[in-house]
Amino acid sequence: MNGSDFAFLLPEIVLVATAITVWAVDFFTPRDRKPDLAWPAAAGALVAMAFLAISWGEHREMFLGTLRLDNFSLFFRFLFLTVAFFVIVGSPGYVRRKLRNAGEFYGLILMSTVGAMGIVSSREFLTAYISLELVAFGFYVLVSHARHEARSNEAGAKYLILGAFSSGLLLFGISLIFGATGSTGYAAIAAALETTPDFGMVWTLGVALVLAGLGFKVAAFPFHSWAPDVYEGAPLPITAFLSVGSKAAGFAFLIRLFAEGLFPVLDDWRVAIGVVAVLTMTFGNLVAIQQANLKRLLAYSSIAQAGYILVGVATLNADTTSGMLLHIAGYTATNLGAFLVVIYFHNLTGKEGIDDLRGLYRRSFLLTLVLAVSLLSLAGMPLFAGFMTKFYLFTAAAASQLWWLIALAVANSILSVYYYLLVLRQAFITPESEEEEQRPAFRLPSHARATLSLLMVLVLWIGIYPSVFVDAAEAGSRALFGG
Amino acid sequence: MASYLPLLVASVAAIGFVGVALGLGFLLAPQQFSRLKRTIYECGMESTGGGWRQVHIRYYLMAILFVIFAVEGIFLFPWAAVLGEIGTFAFVEMLVFMSILFFGLIYAWRKGAFEWR
Amino acid sequence: MIEAIPLDHVVLVATTLFGIGLYGVLSRRNAVAILMAIELMLNAVNINFIAFSMYVSPDPTVGQIIAVFVITVAAAEVALGLAIVLQIFRNKSNINVDDLDLLRW
Repeated sequence: MNGSDFAFLLPEIVLVATAITVWAVDFFTPRDRKPDLAWPAAAGALVAMAFLAISWGEHREMFLGTLRLDNFSLFFRFLFLTVAFFVIVGSPGYVRRKLRNAGEFYGLILMSTVGAMGIVSSREFLTAYISLELVAFGFYVLVSHARHEARSNEAGAKYLILGAFSSGLLLFGISLIFGATGSTGYAAIAAALETTPDFGMVWTLGVALVLAGLGFKVAAFPFHSWAPDVYEGAPLPITAFLSVGSKAAGFAFLIRLFAEGLFPVLDDWRVAIGVVAVLTMTFGNLVAIQQANLKRLLAYSSIAQAGYILVGVATLNADTTSGMLLHIAGYTATNLGAFLVVIYFHNLTGKEGIDDLRGLYRRSFLLTLVLAVSLLSLAGMPLFAGFMTKFYLFTAAAASQLWWLIALAVANSILSVYYYLLVLRQAFITPESEEEEQRPAFRLPSHARATLSLLMVLVLWIGIYPSVFVDAAEAGSRALFGG
Repeated sequence: MASYLPLLVASVAAIGFVGVALGLGFLLAPQQFSRLKRTIYECGMESTGGGWRQVHIRYYLMAILFVIFAVEGIFLFPWAAVLGEIGTFAFVEMLVFMSILFFGLIYAWRKGAFEWR
Repeated sequence: MIEAIPLDHVVLVATTLFGIGLYGVLSRRNAVAILMAIELMLNAVNINFIAFSMYVSPDPTVGQIIAVFVITVAAAEVALGLAIVLQIFRNKSNINVDDLDLLRW
């Protein structure tokens, strides 16, 4: 270890410092100004992004090999900072209406981001676990942050109990793997697997428990049951953050673990993960069809999306990894867009049902446009990010010859179009009653217009001309698989 | 199984000692009961209320704040044991850790976590 | 010198403890009791780590360091859990998990 390792952690250090500053300043800010603490917090995320440039193309082991900086971690760290930026910029209006301790709220978003950035860099179980808990602890508080709303409290309690339970499973699994191989480092585990290919029952149970624990974090079937409740009860910006940030962090953990640690035994697990993937996406899509609440619909749709990404984990190799990275990036931009629309819609009307979208087309062209682009992208329509990234991912997965998996994934993707179109029908076609026609058009704040347009451009950019993003994803995957 | 023999001997000795001491006390001591004797012992102060009163849930928050800061202490012991070998860098790192904890304490205090509302 | 306790005995104890914790989480209906059961699971993990690091790992301190971290994380987890439970209690004077029914469980 040496001091210069810290230079490469500058983005994380900047985030922590910003979070602490925001908390301290919060004491001296009058209550009605507190929501504006979003701007310094968002600025902190941008500064961290600038510092991230230092580690461009850098490959190094740090802190006795517990952290590894490479293009894979760079990709995800950039992604998480982007997510944090958009979530923070999207929340002041909501915070002003609903939440009291604004400073705490923004600071915790930053701290969760720091945890997520730690997960993607760590190549050792303990470091990864602590980072995972940092993410989770932030979220436990954020989910229950609307202190006087019983729904938010309940969501927080459920998330905490199931989250703690799942990290118990994960830890027990890690302890068994440690018992079998004598190490918690991914590289050492892989080396032990080369010499002893079979460790017997302890090993199998250990990996199964680790998969179960991580399955909770990414909300894979049969460990998804917390997701819809927590998504519905949490404050809206946090639902957005959960559905992209926490999910991407879980997948980053899974991908690095399998690529660097468990790759020698992956073949034993491919079919099992594939079955989980199919169940996850089928369940998510079938239940999403019946939803009347926009938040719950997006929750189930994000369960289905986790299923698509799991297809990549089941067929893990260099190509599917870049497919997954690309899909996660596209999904992040798309889902953030969809959720920002829901947030702004909620700020203006206080409603979040699908029926309430009637006449949205007349009342705000921009909201309708961004909603349409996001939902069509989630449905996987050509020209939008969802199609391009799914196409790339499934083509790469097809090389594994798991035809049933690919066929079911494509079938699911087509099935999902139905419910996304149901939402759009409400926004575009279903006529308003005469009384409703009297409602005035929405006026969005200018920063809302800017972020919404930015995300829409991003979704279209990935959908139509993705070469920049493909290059980044492939660079990320090369960091894990060499070549 | 032979290795468990000392354990058996120790258990028998422990149970025997307690049994003999209590038994002798029961046989030899004068037995006089009074109301005052049967009240709960509270460090010599006059006791209030019964011994089986339910603890109010608010107590947990105080207790747990204490536990958190106490548990952070376990990082200090291994650090202190090897401080001489690992030098200034580790010292500075621990100062950073402690100052973050200190900030946390101040924060909890200012937020009124220690108020009995 | 007494011979050491064999590894499988320790692991058996840890696994039993983990099982008790698991049962507690699934069967208890009181949020505080569930948190206590989770604590049991985490302590089983600690026993496992310390035993394995003594018998299996090339470096016997690794497991102990992990145990220290797990203890800290567990304390923080329970603190958060109790804080949220307290908040629910303030809002509805009840901490029974079955009564958390505003959202479908």
